[in-house]
Amino acid sequence: MEEEIVIEVSNLTKDYGQNHGVFDLNFYVKRGETFGFVGTNGSGKTTTIRHIMGFIKPQKGEVKVLGMDAWKDSYDIKKYVAYIPGEIAFPDLLTGMSFLKTQAEFLNLKNMEYANSLIKRLQLDPSANLKRMSKGMKQKTAIVAALMADKEILILDEPTTGLDPLMRETFLELIKEEKKKGKTILMSSQMFDELEETCDRVALIFNGKIIDIADVSTLRNSTTKSYKIEFLNKTDYSKFKRTKFNIVRDQEKYFQVTVQIEDKDINKLFKVLKNYKLKFISEVKNNLEKHFKDILAKEVKGG
Amino acid sequence: MVYFSKALFKQSIKANWIKWVAVTLATCVMLAIVIIVLGSININGIRDSLKGVFEQANQESYLKENAIDSYSAYLTTTELENTLYTKELNEEEQGTLKTIWGVLTSGYDTKISEYQNSHEGQKPTGEELTKIRTESVNEVVALMSSMSSFYPEIGEMLEQVDEKTLVMAIDSFLVAYEEGNGVSIDKENGATLLNDIRPILESTYLKIVYNVAYDTYMQQENATEALAVDSATQAQNLTKDAMDTYKNDALQDGVLNPEYVYNADNYKNRASEKVNAMIYDQAYKMTYATSTADSDEEKDAEAKQYAVTAKIISNTAISTYELCLAEGQTKEDALKLATQSVTDQIDEEVAVALEELGNMDIYGLIIGSIFYRIAGLLLPMVFVIMVANGLLAGQVDSGSMAYVLSTPTRRRTVTVTQMLYLMMALFTMFALVTAVSVVSIWIVGGNSFAINFAEILLFNLGAFLTMFAFAGFCFMCSAIFNRTKHSLSIGGGISMFMLVCTILGLFGSNVVPSAMRIDQMNFFNYLSIITLFDTTTILSGGISFIWNFLILFGIGLVTFIIGVFCFDKKDLPL
Repeated sequence: MEEEIVIEVSNLTKDYGQNHGVFDLNFYVKRGETFGFVGTNGSGKTTTIRHIMGFIKPQKGEVKVLGMDAWKDSYDIKKYVAYIPGEIAFPDLLTGMSFLKTQAEFLNLKNMEYANSLIKRLQLDPSANLKRMSKGMKQKTAIVAALMADKEILILDEPTTGLDPLMRETFLELIKEEKKKGKTILMSSQMFDELEETCDRVALIFNGKIIDIADVSTLRNSTTKSYKIEFLNKTDYSKFKRTKFNIVRDQEKYFQVTVQIEDKDINKLFKVLKNYKLKFISEVKNNLEKHFKDILAKEVKGG
Repeated sequence: MVYFSKALFKQSIKANWIKWVAVTLATCVMLAIVIIVLGSININGIRDSLKGVFEQANQESYLKENAIDSYSAYLTTTELENTLYTKELNEEEQGTLKTIWGVLTSGYDTKISEYQNSHEGQKPTGEELTKIRTESVNEVVALMSSMSSFYPEIGEMLEQVDEKTLVMAIDSFLVAYEEGNGVSIDKENGATLLNDIRPILESTYLKIVYNVAYDTYMQQENATEALAVDSATQAQNLTKDAMDTYKNDALQDGVLNPEYVYNADNYKNRASEKVNAMIYDQAYKMTYATSTADSDEEKDAEAKQYAVTAKIISNTAISTYELCLAEGQTKEDALKLATQSVTDQIDEEVAVALEELGNMDIYGLIIGSIFYRIAGLLLPMVFVIMVANGLLAGQVDSGSMAYVLSTPTRRRTVTVTQMLYLMMALFTMFALVTAVSVVSIWIVGGNSFAINFAEILLFNLGAFLTMFAFAGFCFMCSAIFNRTKHSLSIGGGISMFMLVCTILGLFGSNVVPSAMRIDQMNFFNYLSIITLFDTTTILSGGISFIWNFLILFGIGLVTFIIGVFCFDKKDLPL
């Protein structure tokens, strides 16, 4: 089965000066894939998303959605795309429900059944005054507005901001369901864990450049693990360092070492360790956060 | 492709209807109050009394001049009569007189007989006769000046009248000659000829007096044909009276009393008395004719009251005139002093300013220049500035535009829909304002009110087009800028600046009377497009405002379209 590319960004550049903007971005999102976008504030996540939505025109390069130019064919693309903007600001309407109804009119959506089920799941009170809504309520309203038309592509700019932890879980569940329906999702966030939980691939963007694109499943299913070991005394510590294990980190001050080891070799390690006096041993999780932080540390050092 | 979204249109209505209702109501109420209050109180009271002062002053001047003119004419007539009856012509003068008479009568006779020859002995009548007379008269007009050499008074009189009168005068000679009129002409003797001509000269003189009086009267403001005829007849009667009085005193059995000595003082009292009576009569008739009182009794009372005043004024003028002459003033100076009115004593600049104040159209100023061009525009302008910004820039700035544009809705659909909404909001607003203004005008008297229906409709149209231009401009700013602060400071700032300029410019425009006007302030009018909405031209009945209306509409349309195209092309931070 050939994998169809839904969103393709090539050589995208938008220079706002003073190192702001995006520079020579290249990535793609395949059909059915959930693609994450992570980076600090002002790193260029939103700028990239605005290009995909056709709100801004690329200086260089191009953005294609379903093979159409995001700027020129912006109107046709919108038939397939749903969007949650990064900033929550609603039109000048009275209640959440009137907003959703207007939005449905724009979407030419007659059947509000799905919308109502979303409202129920997110425990949204749609009769509340739009202006007096809390940040979380507003975010939930925006989520319903985006998801209710059941579009095949979802573009979500930091969709979990303002949600309480429970709601966040509910939302991530929703995303996972959408993913199961075969939707293509592009989602930005500052939280590594929620991206790791939902995304297939995650791109790290820093100062307008993509530093790395990590494959979450590879990361998750990695057969190599790291363990941090602290010894009670220096003798054992020094003695261990002379063994053949792969030491990735060495902190002499605390008599600590971090060992990276294949799962099949784990018993060898324990056999060796039997003869040492340990203070503790703990697994260092090789998650997305660690992965990117390592890369970022290298990047900053190198840059 | 239809660039219109019903949903967005509805959304804009929902978002702005409260502002619309507030602004429309406030403007309508303001307008109704202005018109109804202005219509029910006599705002022009001071203006009218000021105007009255000037009218009265003018009338008084006329009255005094008329009195003194008639008075001195009376005396001149007696003097003229005296000359006519006492002057001994020398032979040369008698010869001239004979020549003139000969030319006149023989030319005329020849033409008559020529006509008879060619018409089988028939006498000319009607038009033919007139034609012959006219030809004869034309031949002799040139010779008439010779007559002035021995009757300088007649010469003087003739100099004052136009050629038409002169022709008529000679014409009357011929009529008298033609009819015989009891005049037997002895062509051999100049002295006898003079006796025969005298009555003809008198009747000519009376005709001239009549014509001059008629023309002078018709130059007055409230003059009517009937009153002019009456006044001219009275002037003629006055002269006739002068002639008769003289003859009564100086002639016995048609011959000059040898003991009679002409003395003007003898006639002064009678002249004054007659003139005063004439002025009284004229003033009575004129006031009666122009009075607005309901019943005849009231008209009569009003006319009598004014006639008495006129008589007193006349009497005073004549006394002053005599006094001045007695003090050795020239006739001209005496006339000037005696005819002075209240306003003649005011400094000329002040008089002009006051007169302008009296002629100022306060309704036009308040309803046209102040309400429709300033006060009534203020709230709609605030509405336009706020709403135009909110329709695009505000939604882009806050980010709420993202919800519309993330659905299959074109940018142009958004701009065109918002543009149509703004136009519609403005149109309905002014439709209501127009309805209120028309009803208000109807309440205060319809077309009899100082501002009629056509004018008020044009005012509303002008105000709408002015706001249309501002709406286009604000809309364009809203479409160009992504930030509310920029859109508001450029779009709203310039609009407000122009309104303020119009307020300042008002003090330099010619609707403000010169007493309050500072001409330099007119400079501000060049900085504001509201100047194109020219209420003064509308009130004065001109049509040049139509071009300005088209320009305003053009400004609005072009800026709206620029806005639509700019929004298509720009980056949106959504």
